[in-house]
Formats: sequence, C-alpha cells, structure tokens
Amino acid sequence: MGKSDEMVTPGDVLGRATELKPGKGAYVASQNNTIYASLTGFRRILLPTPDSPDQRPIVEVTGHKAHGPVPEPGSVVIARVTKVTARTASADIMCVGPKSVREKFTGIIRQQDVRATEIDKVDMHLSFHPGDIVRAVVLSLGDARAYYLSTAKNELGVVSAESSAGATMVPISWTEMQCPLTGQIEQRKVAKVVS
Amino acid sequence: MEIKQSSSPTSFIDSTVVPGDVVLDLSSMTNQTIKLGGGLRQDCDAISAMKAGTLRFSKPNKYWIESSQKRYVPCVEDTVLGIVVDSKADNFLIDIKGPALAFLPVLAFEGGTRRNIPKFEVGTLLYLRVVKANFGMNPELSCTDASGKAAEFGPLKDGYMFETSTGLSRKLLSSPTCPVLEALGKKLSFEIAVGLNGRVWVNAASPDTIVVAANAIMNSESLSTAQQIIMVEHLLKNIQ
Repeated sequence: MGKSDEMVTPGDVLGRATELKPGKGAYVASQNNTIYASLTGFRRILLPTPDSPDQRPIVEVTGHKAHGPVPEPGSVVIARVTKVTARTASADIMCVGPKSVREKFTGIIRQQDVRATEIDKVDMHLSFHPGDIVRAVVLSLGDARAYYLSTAKNELGVVSAESSAGATMVPISWTEMQCPLTGQIEQRKVAKVVS
Repeated sequence: MEIKQSSSPTSFIDSTVVPGDVVLDLSSMTNQTIKLGGGLRQDCDAISAMKAGTLRFSKPNKYWIESSQKRYVPCVEDTVLGIVVDSKADNFLIDIKGPALAFLPVLAFEGGTRRNIPKFEVGTLLYLRVVKANFGMNPELSCTDASGKAAEFGPLKDGYMFETSTGLSRKLLSSPTCPVLEALGKKLSFEIAVGLNGRVWVNAASPDTIVVAANAIMNSESLSTAQQIIMVEHLLKNIQ
C-alpha cells in the first residue's frame, strides 16, 4: 500500500476472490470469482485485521476527488426543505454526518415520518416551511427520485428557520419558534437543542 | 428638503395608500393589541402597506387594505368559482385564478366515499370553498361547508360565467344588497353565483335576461348607487 497505486475505472479487474476480499468500490462476480471495480479511483489494498477469521487482504477503490459522502440508511443528515405539500415535504440533503456532500441528493419526509405520535393528524404546513434547515435520519434509499427521511425523534426536526419578517427564529418549544424582530410565533416541528 | 413627520394614524384610515407607506407607528400606541389584515406588514415598530389601496379600520382593532384587482390571492374560507383543469387519483386540479392550481380532494363532497366519486369533465364550473391556503403550497378546496353539508357547493349547470375584478365581487356579496342587484331583481328573475376570485355566474330562463344581467353587473363597478339604478333602467328599457 502506498507504492504507485494504479488508477482503475468501473469494470477493471482488481484480482481474484480467492486471494482478495472486495471493499469499498469493488464487487465480486460470482460466475468467475473475480473482483471488479465499480467506481473510478485508485486501487488500494488494506491488510486484514489480525483477529478476523478471513485473512484475505481487502482491495478497495478510493481517493478520487468526486467521492463525496453518500447518505446511507441510518445516517443523520442536514437538509434544506424545498417544497411542502399536503402529505410530503421535499428536501435537498446538504450534509451527511459532519461532511458536506459533493453532489445533489433529494430526500422526502412523508406525513407519517414527521413525528412519532398522532401521525395521521400531522399538518405538514405546521411542521415545515420551504427554506427551513432540518436534521433528519435516512430511513431507506427510497424510490428513484428521493431518499426517505424521518424526523420522528426529539433531536430531529427544524434546526433553523426564517420568519416571514426575514429574521432567524428562536425555538421556544417543540412546536413553536418565535421571530426576534416582530415577536410572531410560527409553528414548526422543532429539533431539541443539544446543549 | 423637508423631512415630513409621520402623521397620526387616523389620517390614513379610509385614504389611499401605496406600498411602502408607514401607516401606523406602534411606538405611539402602547398596550393595544391590533389585528392586521391583508396588505399590511410589520417591521419592528412600524406597520407598512404592501398593497396599493384604501386603508380600512373596523372597531375595535382591525386594520386592513382594500383594493380591487384582477388577480386573486387565495384565502381560507373564501367561496370561489373554479374550473376543472385535470383530475388525478386523489384530487381534481382546479383553476381559481390564483398563482397556483388548487386541489379539490375527490372525497370532499357530502356523503363522498371511494365508491361514489363524482366525474367532472375538464371545463366544468364549480362553486367551492377554500379550506387551506398556505404560502408556497397549492390551495385546497372543498365542496362542503365546515359541517360537511353540501350547502349549494358543487357544479353549476347552464348559465353564463364572466370574469370581473375582486373588488366588484366583494361589492356584489356585501349586505345590504348591492344596488345593481336590487334594481335587476325588481324586474328580472335570475340566479347568480359570485366567486370572491373575480368570477360571476348568471343563469335565467331566457338568454336575453342573462345578457342584460351580465352587462349590468359588469358596468356597475365604478358607478355610484344612483348611477347604477339609472344604468339598469336604461338597459331594461331595451328588452321591454
């Protein structure tokens, strides 16, 4: 590892499954037990941990600058709400965990995933507005258009929102945020502030 | 250049204001709760106008701006006349002369179930009530009143629909009855449905009556009470 790693492209042969285990960016084709690359990048070999039963080295394809973080089921994401309809809210995912993403991912928060209690009485307009920044967890890869996100926990929900007067609002309860300029209270599904 | 002090609020009531005018200064009105209606916006301590129109005040504490426009901005609990544009699985798409198409849920009818979904052709005229009208979302409509009864909402058959400004629609719906409608009602018998979105539907037994009623209403927007009565008499002379 470290000596001039070669650049590989999707479809390039990386090795045989008898000698190597596929890692990130690689997969094994069971018909002929060969490991192929599925991403573009540099071929790297990692030594196996001494206590694992399978002592094959792991081959992975990494290091290309286009490899930003990708949302996975269970990861906490920060997203900006783009559209709110009667039953769903669409959001653009901006960060996965602590890292910002390099390409655009879209997520959808469905009415039943906004909160954990009384899910059929949720009013989407009293939970999110377009432009709000929300913290959500990825439920699944969803359909071809968007990931499915959920805000059904206390620490998930609207993190930052702008009032109709244009100021950043201050959260005052788990359903309300107040504008500091005008004192108007607006309803949102507010994320619990972790102090 | 003189600097004009903002005059006391009473001088703006019932007078014309334009967007940007500061109509109320909250720092001089302490310990009052005032309600702001359409067209007004709060910037810390100053209330400024967002629409051009007349500032109105109703006791004890409501301020709003009245103006007549061709554009309609959907508000909750308005009754409007909508035209069916498309039908999807769960709702009909209705044009109500607003910034976005409105949704009419397929079950929003009296006794509506999945089994008896009404079939409206594209172009059907409906009398509807606005249920939800949030900024940025498509408005939601209903063909029932708040308690679930049909109450005259639904498709309007026959007749003639024409478009007016929102100000004229509000005048036609005001009480006591608008002078032009009272004058027409004394001589003709007709049916009328007024939508706050600037659409009016008239139906009568003969086409002559419908045309006279429609023309009278369209002419009456900028006329005073006496002028409206004279105009109606003039039009009625021609058909009798």
